Amino acid sequence: MSFLVKLKNLDRRYIYLLAWIVVLFPLLNPLGLPIPISQDARTWYDYVENEINDGDVVLLAPMYGVSGMPELFPMTVATMKHLLTKDVSIIVVSFWTQGPLVFNTLLEQVDPADYGYVYGEDWIRLGYVPGSETAMGSFAASIHNTVTADYVEGRPLSSFPMMDDIQTGEDIDVIVSFETGTPGTPEWMRQFQAPFGTDQITGCIGVSVSGMIPYVNSGQLKALMPGLTVSAEYEILLEKPGLAVAGVDAVSTSHLYVTLLVIVGNLAYFMTKEEED
Amino acid sequence: MSDVLRRIEIPIALTIIATLLQVIPYYLDIPPLESAANTASNAVLIIVACATFVGVISIIQVHGKRIQRQSEGWYYSLLVIGFTVIMSITGLPIPEVGLSVNNSVYNWLFTNVLTPLGSTMYSILAFFITSAAFRAFRARNVESSIVLVAGTIMVMSNAPLLTNYLPFIADIALWIRSYPNMATFRGVMIGAALGSMALAVRTLMGIERGYLRGGGEE
Repeated sequence: MSFLVKLKNLDRRYIYLLAWIVVLFPLLNPLGLPIPISQDARTWYDYVENEINDGDVVLLAPMYGVSGMPELFPMTVATMKHLLTKDVSIIVVSFWTQGPLVFNTLLEQVDPADYGYVYGEDWIRLGYVPGSETAMGSFAASIHNTVTADYVEGRPLSSFPMMDDIQTGEDIDVIVSFETGTPGTPEWMRQFQAPFGTDQITGCIGVSVSGMIPYVNSGQLKALMPGLTVSAEYEILLEKPGLAVAGVDAVSTSHLYVTLLVIVGNLAYFMTKEEED
Repeated sequence: MSDVLRRIEIPIALTIIATLLQVIPYYLDIPPLESAANTASNAVLIIVACATFVGVISIIQVHGKRIQRQSEGWYYSLLVIGFTVIMSITGLPIPEVGLSVNNSVYNWLFTNVLTPLGSTMYSILAFFITSAAFRAFRARNVESSIVLVAGTIMVMSNAPLLTNYLPFIADIALWIRSYPNMATFRGVMIGAALGSMALAVRTLMGIERGYLRGGGEE
């Protein structure tokens, strides 16, 4: 019993050390653990593949900063690659301060020109719009009044032919949002989905999934990409293994570690309970 | 004159006007009101953008004092101010002199300083969670046991290694997510929405004054 008491009161530094090892080891030595494909990944893939049609206007919104990058960046890269294989117009805008800088990092890995996309003709960046949901509402009411110039060249939006027919939220066919918090899906829903019926798919961090499910089950959210694991599954469906696949072994080992800690912690708790009482 | 300007009715009236200006065009098609609402929205964006400068000033004031007094950890404040100034200047929208958010120094700092720091802060969560998993997640009573079992299944469902060999875990997790979780969240969302509506009505009627002078006392 004394062993269990010692185990129960184990110094947290040992727990931290083991956590560090179970995360770091698979990152340095990929284990190639199996990755089954979940329904979430399949729904996301099917939506981008079959529901986004040539000629559609896609609003891609990186709504996160550096703290969200470990979980959201791989799915943003994979989805961008998938979108670029289609003949759509892509508007990149963020209502999150660091969104444009995150997208700069993305462009170091994915060059739209490699897919035949020409800046200003097939895709455009509108940068960061301050003002949270108010800005989203204003953007939905009039894109040209809210954002007067593009982010890359600083030219008036009216000088880009692709923006001639894209004036309000009504002209956007689908919103692809990657987000860690507010503003996020509820705000998109209120400002775009409710007034215009705009389709939306959302990639979010694992802890936000619970709050997203009502939107998925009601059909308001067409697809949900919850966290890094599903990103890895999506990369496999895309046949373009990337950052998520590289990191998912560590997800497996760390989650297994947490599960074991819960089990061992509770066993030690129950087996020493009477002794302590 | 100053007494008139300090009257509590003025901010209440402004709140009512600003709120109705946004609410009415949502339900009724009145072009002049819609145009006024859009103008008001754009004004809000300008105010928010100006607030950024207030943020910078506030950072410099708070950390400037710490440096001046050489309080504990003052050198961190020095770093904060240093990076605030560098990023503010290099990010200024003056592309003619090489300054903008596309500036190489600005982007280097973002990629090589802010990104790793942000990722590190996020990664530290892993240590807290593992420690909590071992020390705090205890089946002490029925309620905590339900939370513990549901939480553990959700954690397990996120590990491809486990769902590959034990696919029923993914099915159970999906059920938890789609039924008990969704029902609870719908309740929370509907409750919050009703609460917001009640708050809006109270604010519009001038009953709710919590946002005024810390309570709106005359």
